[in-house]
Amino acid sequence: MKGFFYKSQQTAVGAVLLTVLLLLVMPESARARLKSAIGGLFLPLIGISTTGQVALESIGQLGASGSESSPTKQVLGQASDVPPSLADLQMENARLREEINQFRDANDWERRIPWESKLVRVVGRDPFNWWRRIKINLGSNKGIRFNQPVISAKGNLVGRVSEVGPLTSWVVLAGDPNCRFSALIKESRSQGGIVSPRQYSSDPRVVELTYLPNDVELRPGQAVVTSGLGGGFPKEIPVGQVVDSRVSKDGLYVEARIKLHANLNQLETVRVLTRY
Amino acid sequence: MTGRINKTLGLLIGAYLLVFLQSHWQGPRLWLGFQPDLTPALLVCAGLTLHAGHVSTSAMLTGLWLDSLSANPLGLSVLPLFIAGWAVFTFRDLIMRDELVAQFYLGTAAGAAVPLLQVWLLWLVGASPLFGWEMGVWWLINALFCGVAVPVFAKFVKLLDRWFSHPLHEPNSWPNENRQIVRGKH
Repeated sequence: MKGFFYKSQQTAVGAVLLTVLLLLVMPESARARLKSAIGGLFLPLIGISTTGQVALESIGQLGASGSESSPTKQVLGQASDVPPSLADLQMENARLREEINQFRDANDWERRIPWESKLVRVVGRDPFNWWRRIKINLGSNKGIRFNQPVISAKGNLVGRVSEVGPLTSWVVLAGDPNCRFSALIKESRSQGGIVSPRQYSSDPRVVELTYLPNDVELRPGQAVVTSGLGGGFPKEIPVGQVVDSRVSKDGLYVEARIKLHANLNQLETVRVLTRY
Repeated sequence: MTGRINKTLGLLIGAYLLVFLQSHWQGPRLWLGFQPDLTPALLVCAGLTLHAGHVSTSAMLTGLWLDSLSANPLGLSVLPLFIAGWAVFTFRDLIMRDELVAQFYLGTAAGAAVPLLQVWLLWLVGASPLFGWEMGVWWLINALFCGVAVPVFAKFVKLLDRWFSHPLHEPNSWPNENRQIVRGKH
């Protein structure tokens, strides 16, 4: 019987077709639960890779702090007998100043915004190139909810939470066909809708702002922010800047290409707005 | 049988790790601008070496794992992967499956066909994925990657087979010392 099961070609074909058919006729909620359960099989590997990444980062930091070529250490007389040159010291000073400014910006930004947010780590991406989604390491057990806005660590719009599991969640990125929202040109306050680019672009930062009124004055470099309409995203989150514009084929509205501020290919940590 | 189970297990573990890497290792996306999908190559390898039941099991599990980490409807990738594996399985006696060139062509063909089938099925179920001419270049490169991956996977499967299986006992095969006629001087 066992031999028959494995050797029968009809059984093999039938099993695949039956599985696909069952999955297609299954109710949406049951399919989502099954998908989440199957995706959960990768949690051990995600845990191992995240732990490994953190360990590597800490080793890297240890290595960097143990480096004997640092002019700061040389100043303190810990490492080398050769005194650092003025150029070295100036470079080190500039680097440290930049780091301090970055920390200060992040801190100021956190104090300035009226929303509560959670810093989360990006642990995966959609393996298919025709979707733009990322996986984050927090789920419903940590207060992540469906449709919550997601912004980059610097406060620029990234996307929204599209699926929530108990331990992890999926974020659909701006530019994906399933992530549309209302935005406006900051200068003129003209409103439109951010949609995915009509033609696929290798640069994930390019999206389209469409349905702008015909009399809008658009210049490259103009800032685009969320409008707050529709309730999906709070008002005034920086989105990107205008690259170029054109009148639609039917002449009824204007479309503009927008370059997003957030680099969607290099997201490592993002913020989920939990109260806004 | 043991050898086949070892091969199946090896392929399934390989598929699990491959799907995880495709989703969680961002290196290729940063270097190439897209994420290669080598699962068609894995199914070609299954079609070349395994039985029908194992091919269907590999296709089902790989497809479900892929879809569970994606916005694709669950089960959408099963059919394209199965078709790729099954086509190779059906015609494997007619092709020189141990030749590198044959393996490369099979992998390239599967790597080209599977994404097309996936996109076609997505349109059939009403989804609207991102699409453009630029993806054509990636599709071609991905197909070539799959072509290169099949001989590598096949080599790895052979290695696993050698490590974990007993050699087959074939008493009637030639040369067999027990059946040789040894000529003496007279």
